Amino acid sequence: MTEGRKAVQVSGITKKYGEAAVVDNVAFEVCEGEIFGFLGPNGAGKTTLVRMLTTLIVPTRGSAKIAGFDVVREAGAVRRQIGVIPQAMTSDTDLTGYENIDIYARFYGIPARERKERIQYLLETVGLAARANDLVAAYSGGMRRRLEIARVLMHRPKILFLDEPTSGLDPQSRRAVWELLDKIRQEDTMTLFLTTHYMEEAEALCTRVAIIDAGKIVILGSPQELKQHLPGKDVISLTLEKLSDAIGDSVKNLPFAHQVFAEDNSIRVAVDMGARDLPAIMEVIRSAGGKVLSATVHEQSLEDVFIYFTGRSIRDEGPKKVSLLSAGMPRRTGG
Amino acid sequence: MNGLRETALRLSAVVDRDWKKFRRNPVVIAMSVLMPIIYLMILGNSFQGKLRGLPLAVVNQDSGPYSRSVLDNLRAIAAGPRTLVIRAATDEAAAVAGVRNGIYKAALVIPPDFSKKVVLKAGPEVGLFLDNTDGISAQALRGAVNGAVGAIASDYVPIRERAYEIHLRDNNLYRQVDYFQSLVPGVVIMSIFLGAMTTGVFNIVMDRFVGVEEAYLLTPLTKTDIVAGLIISGLSITTAVAVLVLAAGVAITGIPLPGSVEQYALMLLLIVLATLSLLSLMFAILGRARHPRIVGVMSGFLNVILFFPSGAMYPVASLPGWLRGLARINPEAYAVSALKAVLFKGAHLATVWGDIAFLAAFTAVMMTAAIVLFKRTL
Repeated sequence: MTEGRKAVQVSGITKKYGEAAVVDNVAFEVCEGEIFGFLGPNGAGKTTLVRMLTTLIVPTRGSAKIAGFDVVREAGAVRRQIGVIPQAMTSDTDLTGYENIDIYARFYGIPARERKERIQYLLETVGLAARANDLVAAYSGGMRRRLEIARVLMHRPKILFLDEPTSGLDPQSRRAVWELLDKIRQEDTMTLFLTTHYMEEAEALCTRVAIIDAGKIVILGSPQELKQHLPGKDVISLTLEKLSDAIGDSVKNLPFAHQVFAEDNSIRVAVDMGARDLPAIMEVIRSAGGKVLSATVHEQSLEDVFIYFTGRSIRDEGPKKVSLLSAGMPRRTGG
Repeated sequence: MNGLRETALRLSAVVDRDWKKFRRNPVVIAMSVLMPIIYLMILGNSFQGKLRGLPLAVVNQDSGPYSRSVLDNLRAIAAGPRTLVIRAATDEAAAVAGVRNGIYKAALVIPPDFSKKVVLKAGPEVGLFLDNTDGISAQALRGAVNGAVGAIASDYVPIRERAYEIHLRDNNLYRQVDYFQSLVPGVVIMSIFLGAMTTGVFNIVMDRFVGVEEAYLLTPLTKTDIVAGLIISGLSITTAVAVLVLAAGVAITGIPLPGSVEQYALMLLLIVLATLSLLSLMFAILGRARHPRIVGVMSGFLNVILFFPSGAMYPVASLPGWLRGLARINPEAYAVSALKAVLFKGAHLATVWGDIAFLAAFTAVMMTAAIVLFKRTL
């Protein structure tokens, strides 16, 4: 990690509602120019954290500085430094796209001529120039999100917060948003702070990722660093007709299986070389009386990191745990 | 049979969904219980009440016995049914000026030769100067004075000798204002209330409800920007509507137009201040509401406690003491009384400055409260 100036400094920040801590003693720093991702399932405390960092919620304990300003004592100064895209759509549906941006820019005191030019430029950037004078009520979800990205860039924020920027969008719109964020990043040096529960999103965009679960940071590092914590390099995922303990045990006992997770009738095995090891696993399952419905081999992703550190898959919202079949501490095997 | 059961299931689901929402809105529940009671207490007292405490200036220029018995009779009314309170005035000019300025509802002048004329049966007269813009109060006072004056005739004159009658000379100080015309200021205030209810704070509650407010709170906008901005936008819309309603009311009921620019300026100023008062009041009360339904219920409540006891429909003098106390801090009461004075009596700034000062002070207090109470966090 390069030692730059700090865009975000958070120490011991906590938010409690009653007795329950939604964000629990979280501390981290983000350098200027980084793309920092908070990855966690719904309900992990991501939105509460972003709202505390963006002055919308007062922390119960702890403190945070954004661009050197305290989020509680210097909230006004913080607001001038940041741009935020909240998770919910916040553009006015009864105004046109152009009006939405223009009014927002006036909140920041941007003079008329500069507004006109920059709105035009940004609407072209997000591909909405042709729809600028339509009411936002007539926009699709993806268009609305792109409009909000254009809007938040009007005052050239130093730090851009995006809370689940692509949640609720179809894959195509999601990719368009990613490309847009990438383009913006290259044109303006900005620090990006985003939360997501999409693994691909964190992996595709972020220079560093913090995995958050139940209000706490579980692990923090670059996607590469995080993956290095995992034994093996590839993951073999298998869906069986019926998963039994016997099948699980026999897979676990394979010498090349570093780690085995079972969930419902699926099984994930961490191995060094997926393509080489797949036939042997299939064979073991068949001889233990199991029937394989599907099998895939992929490189380890942040999803595997998440399962490794939290013991459950990110799609779960409830407390259901996947059983960790390989008992004991995770082994670190090189190569 | 199956179809019927399904229909019942669907219907009960719709009902249940509504009940659940209702149950989780405690303000609305409390209001739906309180509202009928409040309506009863306020509406009932606003129209039914006997007029009481109407201030009557009495100028007695006669030193004879009959003027004293007229006064005794009036005192009996003041002590008994309490329709009026007697205020002694030094001279006729001061008493009439007092009526014009709204201090008295009427002035009774008993001329120096009254007792003599009674004795001589020479057609005695008393003069009654009435603020006839308030028709209901004028009627009640005329009745009371008539009774007080008429009573001495029957006491001192044998019934068969109906040779004379004491004459009550009515002096209407203003052009006659009929009931419909007298409602126009109230209708203007009602339009201001409705305007204030659908602009201003309602917009921020709506933004909050649909989740758009978050984007505003993230910008450098201060509490004052948000509160004052919404109040100003509400003011412009509501004032325009109120001016139109006033013009339409004047045209429809045939109220003669006031003569000078001062009156037009005063009416505009009163409309602006009444609008600001109501917008600020609602912002102070509803600045933190999260559901538009609360704004709706609260508006109904405010309308009842502000409008009906404002004097727009029925004189404030008819209200019981506790409601008259409420009228003393009710911006609508000040606005109605000042608008009536300007529209029907051609009042000048000197007459209504007190109402203007109250409305301005009320606005200042409520807007400050609205800004302080507004929450700039989620």
